[in-house]
Amino acid sequence: MYWYTAVAALVPLDHLGRYLHWHWLLISVANLAVIAIMVVTFLAALLLPFPGRRRRKENQ
Amino acid sequence: MTKKAFRPDVDAPRWTGGHTPYDIAKEGTIALLVVAILTIALATVFGSPDVPAVTIKRWSNTTPVDFAMTALSELSATSGSALYGAPYNHNAVGQQLGPLQLAKWVGVRIPINAVNDFVINPLESLPNQGALATDLQQWKQASTSQRNGWIADYTKAAAHLSFKSGNVVVTAANAGPVPVLINDLTQMARSGALDQNLVSHSGFYTTDYTLPLLFIADGSYLANLADLQHLKGTQWGMMNETGSYPGQAWLWLYTFWYQVPPFSQSGNADVLVWGFMMALTALLLLIPFIPGLRSIPRWSRVYRLIWSEHYRGLQPASGQGTRPSADRPATSRATGDITRPEA
Repeated sequence: MYWYTAVAALVPLDHLGRYLHWHWLLISVANLAVIAIMVVTFLAALLLPFPGRRRRKENQ
Repeated sequence: MTKKAFRPDVDAPRWTGGHTPYDIAKEGTIALLVVAILTIALATVFGSPDVPAVTIKRWSNTTPVDFAMTALSELSATSGSALYGAPYNHNAVGQQLGPLQLAKWVGVRIPINAVNDFVINPLESLPNQGALATDLQQWKQASTSQRNGWIADYTKAAAHLSFKSGNVVVTAANAGPVPVLINDLTQMARSGALDQNLVSHSGFYTTDYTLPLLFIADGSYLANLADLQHLKGTQWGMMNETGSYPGQAWLWLYTFWYQVPPFSQSGNADVLVWGFMMALTALLLLIPFIPGLRSIPRWSRVYRLIWSEHYRGLQPASGQGTRPSADRPATSRATGDITRPEA
């Protein structure tokens, strides 16, 4: 076994995925997680203060 | 000369305020480094999809009966590929958008004869096969009605087709050379020779996998694998990935239309969904020119949330602080101000 196969995937995801099925909607838990992360990132970008704002204010 | 009225969704006001230097190269470098580190870290922790390729050898060894039945459908020219139409043959109109027969207009650019390309030609390539050569000769010399008779007899008996001791077993009395052709093609497939034969026509580098892919897709094996992994069109397959990996979530809208009528009930769903998505894309591109639609950002005022820091600075003083001048923004992000500057 090569050394890199030991760390190829600490959390292997090759097993069959879990899916949520509601009427016509069918989505994998993995896709749902990615979408949730994207939404959280977008909200964070909207609501968190822009880095360096305080320093620029002091300069003004 | 009269002064033209300011149109809030079309005209861009001239910025008369201050400016702050901004190092976009620095930001780009930081973003590149962060994404690279994240990519390496996530690949180390989660790995990446690595499902073994589906080959004819694997298919015919796993489900030889399905392979033999598919080979029969190729020999009788009733498979999905044989009846697909353009670009492979003239046996169907293909995808059409209303009266526009788009697939037919493209024409037969990859001509495929299912009987010869999938069955007869590969079998002819096998060396030193005396009995098979005789059966192939019998097939070639037979009339169309004779061939159809053999096929009909074999198809009737194939309801009880089985695979025993490495051979396809069918009790068909008047099937002519068909039992030998199907059995020998199955043997050829199980050895891996058929995989190689179907790509060897494309030259030295054998990068054209059209024939083996079509053959595999005509059977049930690939469809069953896709069904298991939620990759079929009726399973939002476009946005899914094998295993438990996240897939192409950004294709949600494209694959969504396949799930709802009238697209889900149409044989032309591919071209209908494509046409509808093109229309929606055109709508998105033309938003700046569509009255009403182009005003939605101004009405929804989401931009004020994005540039909240700037707009907080423009609010009238209420007890504390002073009202900054509109032409002197709090930060350089004021370039996002799309409202008319104060006179």
